[in-house]
Amino acid sequence: MKKHCIAMLLAGGQGSRLYALTAKVAKPSLPFGGKYRIIDFPLSNCANSGIDTVGVLTQYQPLLLNRYIGSGQAWDLDSIDGGVYILPPYQSAGERGSWFSGTANAIYQNMDFIEMYDPDCVLILSGDHVYKMDYDKMLRAHEQAGAACTISVIQVSMDEAKRFGIMNVGPDGFINEFEEKPAHPKSDLASMGIYIFDWKVLRRYLIEDEADPNSDKDFGKNIIPKMLAAGEKLLPYRFEGYWRDVGTIVSLWDANMDMLSPTLINLYDPKWPIRAKSPIRPPHSIGRQAEVVHSIITEGCTIEGHVENSVLSNSVTVGAGARVLYSILHPGVVVEPGAVVEYAILGEGTVVGAGAHVGAQPDGTDDWCVATVGPDVAVPAGATVPAGAMIYDGAEVHA
Amino acid sequence: MSKVHGIVYAYHSSPRLGDLTRYRTNASLPFCGRYRLIDFALSSLSNAGVHSVGIIMQRDYQSLLDHLGSGKAWDLSRRSGGLHLLPPFGVNTRGDYTGTAEALNAVISYVRSIPESEIVLMPADIVCNLDLAAAIAQHDASGCGITAICRGGAVTGEHHRYLTDAHGRVTKLITSAAAGTGVASMEIYIVNKDVLLDILDFCAQENRFHFHRDGLFQYLGRGGTMDVFLHTGYAVRVDAVADYFAASMDMLEPAARASLFPADRPVRTKERADVSTYYGEHAHVENCLVADGCFIEGTVTDCILFRGVRVARGAHLSRCIVMQDTCIAADAILQYVIADKNVRIGPAVTLTGCEALPIVIPKGSEL
Repeated sequence: MKKHCIAMLLAGGQGSRLYALTAKVAKPSLPFGGKYRIIDFPLSNCANSGIDTVGVLTQYQPLLLNRYIGSGQAWDLDSIDGGVYILPPYQSAGERGSWFSGTANAIYQNMDFIEMYDPDCVLILSGDHVYKMDYDKMLRAHEQAGAACTISVIQVSMDEAKRFGIMNVGPDGFINEFEEKPAHPKSDLASMGIYIFDWKVLRRYLIEDEADPNSDKDFGKNIIPKMLAAGEKLLPYRFEGYWRDVGTIVSLWDANMDMLSPTLINLYDPKWPIRAKSPIRPPHSIGRQAEVVHSIITEGCTIEGHVENSVLSNSVTVGAGARVLYSILHPGVVVEPGAVVEYAILGEGTVVGAGAHVGAQPDGTDDWCVATVGPDVAVPAGATVPAGAMIYDGAEVHA
Repeated sequence: MSKVHGIVYAYHSSPRLGDLTRYRTNASLPFCGRYRLIDFALSSLSNAGVHSVGIIMQRDYQSLLDHLGSGKAWDLSRRSGGLHLLPPFGVNTRGDYTGTAEALNAVISYVRSIPESEIVLMPADIVCNLDLAAAIAQHDASGCGITAICRGGAVTGEHHRYLTDAHGRVTKLITSAAAGTGVASMEIYIVNKDVLLDILDFCAQENRFHFHRDGLFQYLGRGGTMDVFLHTGYAVRVDAVADYFAASMDMLEPAARASLFPADRPVRTKERADVSTYYGEHAHVENCLVADGCFIEGTVTDCILFRGVRVARGAHLSRCIVMQDTCIAADAILQYVIADKNVRIGPAVTLTGCEALPIVIPKGSEL
């Protein structure tokens, strides 16, 4: 079955800078913004952009992700001709098989999958970005320009530019230089890690790069610089709108807090729905003594306490007299009566015992950070978890 | 494979539900923030492993068809079994079905073709989460041809009732009796297929329409055996606006909610792509049930908000039921109001109903 464009979604990374939160699950399956998991954004964008065939490359802790994606029905991707396909590393006859050694190697190892669709173009996506984007517009820009590769870029401040891969654009409108985390950036256009390649061109570079023993087999570090060096036409595609990389505790917390400002990203838009697979839960209940201010609450929650400036996923319980402030509570978290949770991220199934205190307000020092607990950690009654703490599953928290 | 088949009666529109059933039958009446009444029957069947279900409908079923879709939400989109929609077949109809026996006889060829040996008969407009698996197990152990699901607890109000012997077997049907006498039928039955066909055959030949009054009376009269299974949890049949309002307000009580939504028997419904609910900086919400996708900036107390409801800043809602995608503009004041789907309440509109007579605002109205 010939396809014009298929998507390959890189979902195999560990997300090691999220520590406890991704100790047991891959980053794309982390809960986000109450209703969602991070992978809902690229999958919904694909469905809304008319891309019906998506390969999801998994490697690190894939079980929850596999179960979550299922048949792809939640994103309307279970069509007859298309679908979502989970692509783990595999072994071929006469080979030992190997783990994906880099982003380019992950695609290289799945070239046979791509060939089944004989696509003109391949869209490469990451599973750790929060944004709404019409990939079809980007595809049209790519084709109009006759580019070998189109890279989605977003304007950042010159200060931020030092943390990104920066694209310098020549007078012809094509990219003439790529600098990874430059100390003195020449441009403010940061790569979003979203690429559309002419498949025949990419195929050639993947094979060449695979044979290069000095390569890290990475799109940003190897494939793009090699294409630039060879004089291929690389088009920058300017994206305007909300886009966040949620690779660190702070950026994950910040992006969740952004969801409390509906003007930043409109998730209520019926023309561009972000879909999620939801558990079957009744509406949430707000008790007689409860107070909910400037927060996001999801189905299945039971709120008897005070919730302010927080984002609650499904099935969270906040007991009477408990206070939840500036925090992100993943599915099934229980905050027992009288406990205080502030400036914290609580992983799935975490229980905060009665009267315990997790996290603290910013104190103006550079050492301060959001506290992270869980998943599945029980914080004993009366215990204190200080700001910036990182509590793993199985860890004992002492009162 | 389950040996049990489900048949749900979804043809009825209660006149006393007024504008709430103007565009729908009781079966697809929205309830408790995100459900339709028929979800409870379908979920009870699905949770008991019954994956082959026929739905009897007669008219005004557009809304119901839209809700049911392929039946996927209740695990009823299947290679074998699944959901069977049973609209009337021209030659069999002579107006609205008078009783459930007439409705079943209108689809008799379907009933005859059912491969399963036991059939659960259920109305679509009863709010309860029935442990049907336990009822089926009891039915099988009893050796009776029929098991009637009845309400546990004190009997009040008008119900079909049964008198039972020391073993809990039905000895007599009673249709009107003093409070406290007998057990009240929920009009849910587990019937062996051969027994059901005999009863329907009798009703067809004698031109009788009522399963309970005609069919069961004759069945017991000729020595048929009937067991009773008591459902002790929450159960309400919704037949009038006041019932609907009272049952909705019951859902604000944790005990009623716990009975209707036990963790091991989830109530399934059609999915919608909604975001989580957003509470603004000036929101004040007390004692409410709120579904996903709402945007709340006003004051809401003792209310049920369905998916996608918007309450603007300065609006005050108290003891209201607000259905899907309805918008309440700034400074509107609503008390005892049932606003149907897609209603627009303009700025500073004031509407006050009362407990016994809540104001119903029909679907799509603009005020």
